[in-house]
Amino acid sequence: MSPLRRFALGSALCVGSLVAASEGVVEGRVALPKAESAPVVQQRYEIVSKEGTVATNPPLAVVYIEGPFARTEAAKVVQLAQRDLAFIPSLLPVQTGTRVEFPNYDDTFHNVFSFSPAKRFDLGRYRPTDTPVPSQVFDLPGLVTIRCEIHQHMRALILVLDTPHFVLTDAEGNFRLTGVPAGTREVKAWINSKVTRARTVEIAPGSTVRIDFP
Amino acid sequence: MKWILVLPFLLVAPLVANEEGGWRERLAESLHLASPDGDWRAQISGNLTLEGFKGHQSNPGLVLFEDDTLFHPRLTLFADAELGPQVYGFVQVRVDRGLDPAEGSMEIRLDEYAIRFSPKGAGMSLQLGQFAAVIGNWMARHDAWQNPFVGAPLPYEYLTGVYDERAPRSLADLGPAAGVDEYAYLPIVWGPSYATGVSLSGRWGKFDYAVELKNTGPSSRPDAWPVSAVDFSHPAFNARLVYRPDLRVKLGLSYSDSAYLLPSAAGSVPPGRSFGDYRQRLVAQDFSFEWRRLQVWAETFQSTFDVPGGSVDTYAGYVETRVKVTPQFFTALRWNRQVHSTVGQGASRFRWGENTTRYDLATVYRFTPDSQLKLQVTSNHPSGDPSEVGVAYAAQYCLRF
Repeated sequence: MSPLRRFALGSALCVGSLVAASEGVVEGRVALPKAESAPVVQQRYEIVSKEGTVATNPPLAVVYIEGPFARTEAAKVVQLAQRDLAFIPSLLPVQTGTRVEFPNYDDTFHNVFSFSPAKRFDLGRYRPTDTPVPSQVFDLPGLVTIRCEIHQHMRALILVLDTPHFVLTDAEGNFRLTGVPAGTREVKAWINSKVTRARTVEIAPGSTVRIDFP
Repeated sequence: MKWILVLPFLLVAPLVANEEGGWRERLAESLHLASPDGDWRAQISGNLTLEGFKGHQSNPGLVLFEDDTLFHPRLTLFADAELGPQVYGFVQVRVDRGLDPAEGSMEIRLDEYAIRFSPKGAGMSLQLGQFAAVIGNWMARHDAWQNPFVGAPLPYEYLTGVYDERAPRSLADLGPAAGVDEYAYLPIVWGPSYATGVSLSGRWGKFDYAVELKNTGPSSRPDAWPVSAVDFSHPAFNARLVYRPDLRVKLGLSYSDSAYLLPSAAGSVPPGRSFGDYRQRLVAQDFSFEWRRLQVWAETFQSTFDVPGGSVDTYAGYVETRVKVTPQFFTALRWNRQVHSTVGQGASRFRWGENTTRYDLATVYRFTPDSQLKLQVTSNHPSGDPSEVGVAYAAQYCLRF
């Protein structure tokens, strides 16, 4: 390894260590609401009935550090898919500025739209083969309800956050949020549109803080 | 003055909560029923529609009112249920003044009920009950929320000169000269035609198919749809085949053969004939295209009614387009035309029904994902009677839950 490369690698490790040393981990558990049963698909005038039951995702929560934080990396592109007449995932947290693609994996039309104040759009009817995959950039923080005009039971939520520090819980409500900047931080747990719980915690560099949201 | 009743709803509509977890979401959750294991589930939903009509030159949705204006509220309740992965059922109940609201008082009416069995992997379904006919492509979008217009396309509501309460005595006994009740006259297809029966439908490659046996035909009026009113002694046969070359395009062909007289007309039938001998034969072609913000539908109908001395024909069609201008605002335009054959010989030859052309223009604004307002202008151009040329207006506020 050349001296120059050795110097560069050493510097990077050094900076990385400093950054890591200035960050902490927040972990814990969020008490989740009980799971809902699958929706009933309206098929009154369909010549061909859909067999089976629409899959449902278990309720999840989003845990995040209240911002704002400056964007540290390029805007991401994430996907909210339509598969088997359901949005997958049904809850998607994103940072402001994120582009969300809405691929259609069903052998039928979908028509994704939102009337939410944080993002109002209508992608029209599109097929699984249509390219480019229809997408939208979510610039404003807030809760965006995503629906399909054709399939009334389809619904998903995009939680647009002004922070890069967020994580989805697992189905039991457990979460682990790494890379949290040290200091006094407000940690929030978004459970549903009506319930968001908040706790203020002191995060020491290199420490792990455990908080539960009952 | 009854139009004033609509105003509070229009003013409140934009204020109706749109957010996730609002009243609409809570209501839907409270109307969702399920077994503990989720094996059976049911959802109750519905529409509240407030309709207003002005101008009697048009009869949108077979609304035969004589006054200059008509206000019509309607509550439609649906129950959809799934029993395991193979069984689906639905019920539609309406609270209104009738499918033709121009007469009668408020009533609760069971319009549709059906149970559908879809064997695993069979790609087909068997359905029993009282439900919309499989003819054409308008049936699947006749619900007030989906239909961009207040009323139906012309072939589904324009009254011909044929009637069902008695057998015509001769060719000259067709049309207004017959002097029968105006509700006895038949369109080619009576709206959604919720007759009772059984259907078999499915998919085979790029083809969808459906065949059904109903107690009465597509032109029969609502009184005849329940099996308690008309039994299966002269069943109607309906069939439909759809070719889907592409998800965007559907080409359909429908056929129907049925008796069009009511059983109560049996006494008026000449000796040696049955009321079931008076047949309506219907052939229809339909086309639809949808992509992005554009939807186009078109249908053509040829209907033949058996009458004494032969048969009479009527031809009808329409082209309809809906364009979404913004996420909340869309506009729709429909051209409709219906013509009738001539009957008789020489100087006594006459047209057995009035030919007409109709233009419908509608705009729809969605205040929220579940509330919308339609405004419709209809221009009628019946041939032969210039005094009947006129414009009619209709408005409909629809709240879905």
